[in-house]
Amino acid sequence: MLTLQRIFAAVLLLVCIGLALMAWPYQAAFSYEPVGPRAFPLLMLGLMGLALLYMVFRPVPIVHSEDEPQLDRETLQKIGICVVLLRVFAGTFEPLGFILSSILIGVPMARLYGGRWVPSVVIICLMAIGLYLLFDKLMDVPLPLGLLDVLEN
Amino acid sequence: MDTLNYLGQGFGVALTPYNLVTALTGTLIGTVVGLLPGLGPINGVALLIPIAFALGLPPESALILLAAVYLGCEYGGRISSILLNIPGEASTVMTTLDGYPMARQGLAGVALSLSAWSSFIGAFIATCGMVLFAPLLAKWAIAFGPAEYFVLMVFAIVCLGGMAGDRPLKTFIAALIGLFLSSVGIDANSGVYRFTGDSVHLADGIQFVVLVLGLFSVSEILLMLEKTHRGQEAVQATGRMMFNFKEAASVFVVNLRCGVLGFIMGVLPGAGATLASAVAYMTEKRIAGASGTFGQGDKRGLAAPETAIGGAACGALVPMLTLGVPGSGTTAVMIGALSLYNITPGPLLFQQQPDIVWGLIASLFVANIMLVILNIPMIRVFTRILAVPNWALVPVIAIITGIGVYAVHATTFDLFLMTGIGIFGYILRKLDFPLSPVLLGFILGGLMEQNLRRALSISNGALEILWSSPITFGCWILTAIMLVMLLLRIWRRRAAQRRAVADV
Repeated sequence: MLTLQRIFAAVLLLVCIGLALMAWPYQAAFSYEPVGPRAFPLLMLGLMGLALLYMVFRPVPIVHSEDEPQLDRETLQKIGICVVLLRVFAGTFEPLGFILSSILIGVPMARLYGGRWVPSVVIICLMAIGLYLLFDKLMDVPLPLGLLDVLEN
Repeated sequence: MDTLNYLGQGFGVALTPYNLVTALTGTLIGTVVGLLPGLGPINGVALLIPIAFALGLPPESALILLAAVYLGCEYGGRISSILLNIPGEASTVMTTLDGYPMARQGLAGVALSLSAWSSFIGAFIATCGMVLFAPLLAKWAIAFGPAEYFVLMVFAIVCLGGMAGDRPLKTFIAALIGLFLSSVGIDANSGVYRFTGDSVHLADGIQFVVLVLGLFSVSEILLMLEKTHRGQEAVQATGRMMFNFKEAASVFVVNLRCGVLGFIMGVLPGAGATLASAVAYMTEKRIAGASGTFGQGDKRGLAAPETAIGGAACGALVPMLTLGVPGSGTTAVMIGALSLYNITPGPLLFQQQPDIVWGLIASLFVANIMLVILNIPMIRVFTRILAVPNWALVPVIAIITGIGVYAVHATTFDLFLMTGIGIFGYILRKLDFPLSPVLLGFILGGLMEQNLRRALSISNGALEILWSSPITFGCWILTAIMLVMLLLRIWRRRAAQRRAVADV
């Protein structure tokens, strides 16, 4: 775990440097105050950089609680799939509409967490429609209908 | 006497039928949200912000709703710690130590109602403290200029690291990440676009709700994938639901002590409920000595952390309301909610909008009483919710999180951003970084930068203004003491480790 922490700290350090370079040219075209727009972010990035540098050389071992299982290949795969599903959700939210996109990602996600096919499909479909009615109709949170737009009229 | 008048006025606001219904709905929603794994007070409150806004609630009702949800979440977290031995969040870890054994002895109902009662006393003591001290502090805080505010926030962040215990460096890094993220977007003073990468969606900065839901909900969803198997069965709550007078009397002194302790810990920035509950439990264990059966279902062991949490939760509102500087993750979320309504918390809030401040304080009383009463008829329903399997729950949480994010700006960009932040949050969590400092840093960042720039504009760029007044100087000294104590603690632990190695 120590090497992982070192790698993480090093990557974040590089990101900090990159952002600092990005912030360097930030200058007000027309300034009436002594502190410009780049001072504060640069200060924060600098402090973060120092802390990360310390972490690269002196990482602290993580104390694990007993009930936390070790990450294995299978779990990592599941996490990868879950992330992809969330991305798909974001991508299809507007084109497909809320109901269809939540069914599209909800069912595989339920399978991922160990649900069986039939109950997953039934529950997710009901939930998607129920949540749509609850939020869009009852609570005035506008949600896109997407492909189901035809049903509206 | 003025304050009593104001408090009466606050009860007038909180006891209108509309606000009572709001508080009841809030406690119910909060309890369910707190019960569910993966949703805690922080994301529960954050999810409701856009919805409260969409519903068009007036500001005081919205605030009452959020406060009620917050208290309900704390209560719901208690149910899963007592019945399942799974703490809903960090602050309820101490509750499991004696609450779960009590439930195993067939006293589940008693344990739940007693914990609600303890929390009520804690909140009551803290609210009294708030009524006494908050107006004083608010009067004093009017003397605060931008320089004082800046230094105070530096102190708050150092406190956060200093009090966080075993991982100060990671806490600092987390807070700095939050501070940095607050500077993304268009700079209000100069009109320069910062770190937006030419994306229109980022011009407005990262939305607060997106950050909270990404960091807390999405990362939790990913974390739950690791634990698809859950061996524990919920203890059935049968028999007596209410504690009796003797039981309440036996823990009353504990309640009083821990309530005061919780309030003080809550007011201090960075300490918060987690630390308060731990300190309260340890102190009571020591005071009880050999006569206690701590760890095997001692009522005092249940009452101590719960009272402290109740006290700390209300105590944390003091710096938020008087200074506008949040001291915990949840109060940071509340500031985010207030700013949506264009209300700036701070000393002037007490004078300009007493209805909101005192209405909120009064509704904390009301919501706490509601929780004690609700506990009795609803507990069977609540325990049934605990039996909902993860595979049905997680997709719904994911979808509701998506709705909450979409409701802010109605752009799918925010959904992508949320996923990205969620992955980052998951990595941070796996590497043992605490997440609520990120949130606190994000809220404090904007304020800190504005105040720093204003202070230096006043002094025309001379840095002396940051330490020349007595208040700023005092804050720097406190900050220095905090840092020295922190270094001493690290050094001592290092020495102890070295000795341990040498002994072996």
